Amino acid sequence: MTDDDALPLIGAEGLVYNYPGQSQPALDGVDVRLGRGQAVGLLGPNGSGKSTLINLLIGLRTPQGGRVTRTGDHAPVVAWVPQEYAFYPELTCRENLRLFARMLCMPPDETNRRVQDALERCMLHEFADRRARHCSGGVRRRLNLGIALLQKPDVLLLDEPTAGVDPQSRAFLLEHVRELVHAGTAVLYATHYMEEVSAVCSRILLLDHGRVLANGGLATLLAGPEGGTPYPNLEALFVHYTRRSLRD
Amino acid sequence: MVRPRHRLTQVMALAAKEWLLLLRNPHGLGVLFLMPGLFVLVMSFTLKNTLVVRVDLPITGWVLEDKSPVAAHWAQEWQARTGALQFASRDELHRALKSHRVEAGVIVRAPWIDSEGRPRVDQLEMWLGNRVQPAAAARLRSELVASTLQLQLKMAAAEAGSFASVMLSEAFSSSAPASDAAPSIRYLYEIESGRAMTAVQQSVPAWLIFGMFFVVIPIAGVLIQERNDGTLTRLATFGVSPGAVLAGKLAAFIALNWVQLIFMLLIGRWLVPLLGGDALHLDIAPGWFLTMVVATSAAAVGLALLIAAWTRTFDHAAALGGGLNVILAAIAGVMVPRMLMPPTLQRISEWSPMGWALDGMQSVFLGDPEAAFILPRAGLLLAFAAVCLLLSWPPIRRHQHAR
Repeated sequence: MTDDDALPLIGAEGLVYNYPGQSQPALDGVDVRLGRGQAVGLLGPNGSGKSTLINLLIGLRTPQGGRVTRTGDHAPVVAWVPQEYAFYPELTCRENLRLFARMLCMPPDETNRRVQDALERCMLHEFADRRARHCSGGVRRRLNLGIALLQKPDVLLLDEPTAGVDPQSRAFLLEHVRELVHAGTAVLYATHYMEEVSAVCSRILLLDHGRVLANGGLATLLAGPEGGTPYPNLEALFVHYTRRSLRD
Repeated sequence: MVRPRHRLTQVMALAAKEWLLLLRNPHGLGVLFLMPGLFVLVMSFTLKNTLVVRVDLPITGWVLEDKSPVAAHWAQEWQARTGALQFASRDELHRALKSHRVEAGVIVRAPWIDSEGRPRVDQLEMWLGNRVQPAAAARLRSELVASTLQLQLKMAAAEAGSFASVMLSEAFSSSAPASDAAPSIRYLYEIESGRAMTAVQQSVPAWLIFGMFFVVIPIAGVLIQERNDGTLTRLATFGVSPGAVLAGKLAAFIALNWVQLIFMLLIGRWLVPLLGGDALHLDIAPGWFLTMVVATSAAAVGLALLIAAWTRTFDHAAALGGGLNVILAAIAGVMVPRMLMPPTLQRISEWSPMGWALDGMQSVFLGDPEAAFILPRAGLLLAFAAVCLLLSWPPIRRHQHAR
C-alpha cells in the first residue's frame, strides 16, 4: 500500500482563509490528506500559512472556502501540539496532565491511566512532581507532547515541536513521533528543520503565500522534475521553490 | 456536544486549577488578604476618633503677648483646667510644637482688650502641630470662642450691676464652656439599630469590598498567561468552551471571596479588639448578608474578568485594574467615610459599583437592613456583573480561536 492509498482520516479541499484587513489570503486553495499511519511534513517560510492550515484542520477557525472532512468508523480524534508551551508553568507536570485529562470528562480510572501513560511515554516520571516552570526546555517539550497524547489521537498536528531543545530531547521526540506513525497515527509535522522532516515524514506539503508549491512523496519530490536534476537534499528543494528572498 | 455533567466537571477542574495557581502566587495572596487585612487594622484605629462625637482637646501651649491682668487670669484658668503650658515667646512655642511637647498653641495677641474693655476673639491666634486632628482643632477653636464670649458677657454683666453679675456667675462657674453638658449626638443608623457606629464596623465591610475587587490581579495574571501561551486555545481543542473558562474563573474567585470574607471578619472580631480597638459586631441578618456578598462578589469577579479579557499584558491589567479599584474605592467612600465627603461627591459615590456594595454591606453590618434598600443595590451589582461577563465573552472566544 502506498501513502496515496492510505485511508484518509482528515482531509481538506480548496481551503481558503482570509484574515480581516489583509489583502492577501492566508490560504488560497490548499488541499491536504492525512491517512492512517501517514506522516506529512508541512514546510514553508514564516507567514506561509502553516499555522492557519493547522488551525483550520483542528477546527479552531472556519474556512471561508473549501472544506475539511473527517472520515472513519468514528470521528477521528485530532490533537494539536502547539509551538508554545501551552500549559501552566506553576503546575507540576503531573498536575498539568491531570488538568487536561479531566477536560476529557472520562471516568477517574481512565483519567489516571492516561496520565500515567503520558508520563511513561514521554519519559516524564522523574519530573512528574516538578513545576513545569522549573523544567528544562526538553522536558517542557515532552510535556507539551504528553498533553496532546492524553487524547489518544488518531491525527496529531505538530507545530514546530522541537524548537529550542537539546539534541537528546529532539532525538527522543522524533523517535516518539515515528513510533506513533508506526502505530497508525496520522501526523502533520510543521517545522523549519528539514532533517526532521526527512527523518519522520514520507510526504511533504510545501506552502508559500498561502498556496501549495509542492505536494507529494518525499522521494518523488527530491528526484526532481522528469528529466531534470534531482535535488541533493530537502533544503535545496525548499529554497528552489520558495526562493532566497528574506521574509517577515 | 459536551453534556452538562461533563461541562460541570470541566468547570470544577478549571476552578480547582485557579485555586492551585493562587496558592502558589504569594503576590496574589498578599493583595487579596494581607493588603485589605492591614487596611482594616490601620483604618480601625485611624478612624477611631473621627467616628466619635467628642474628641479630646490637644495639649496646648500658650503665649501671652497681651500683658493685661484679664488675659493673665483667663490663661491661668485655661492652663489649670486643661493642663496647658505657658511659653515666653512665639519662638519657644514653635520649638515646643516641633518637639511635640505640645500639640497646639494659643497666642493672645496685644491688644487683646478693645477700646471698650472687652476681649477680642480676632486677637487670638491658633497654631497647630501637623498631626492635630481637624476635629480636635475645631473643638479647641470653638471652646476658645465660647470662653471669650463668656468673658465678654461677664464683663457686660458686671457693668450692668451686681444682680446681673451674680446671675451670670451662677450660670457659668468659670470662663470654661460647659462642654460636658453638650447635647448628645446620635446618627440615624444608631437610632435605627441601637448600636453606635465604630471604626471597625465601618472598616471591615469597606476594606472587604476593596479586597474582593482586587481579584483582578490573580485573574488577569492567569488569563493573560493562558492567552499568550496558547493554553486557552489548547483548552478549546480539549472541548472547553469560552463559557466553561469564564465559569471556572467565576466559581473559583467567588469561592475565594468567601475566604476573604471569613478572614476579614476574624480580623474585625478578634484581632482589632486584641490590639485595643472595638470588636466587630456580628449579629447581622444572614439572608441580607448572603445577598450582598453574592452580588458584590459577582460584580468584583465580573469586572476583573472584563479587565483581564481586554488587556494585552499583565502589567497593563495590573495598572488598569489596580488603578481603577483605587479610584472606585475613593469615590465609593471606602478610603474616606462618605460622611467626610462634600455633598456632590456623596451623590457621585452612590453611582459606583463599590458604592452600591458599600451601602448595602454597611446597612447589613450596622444592623438595620431593609429589602427596599438592599435589593436595588444587589440588583445593580448583579446587572453590572452580567454586563461585564457579556463584554468579556467576545475577546475570550476570539483568543481561544486565534492562534
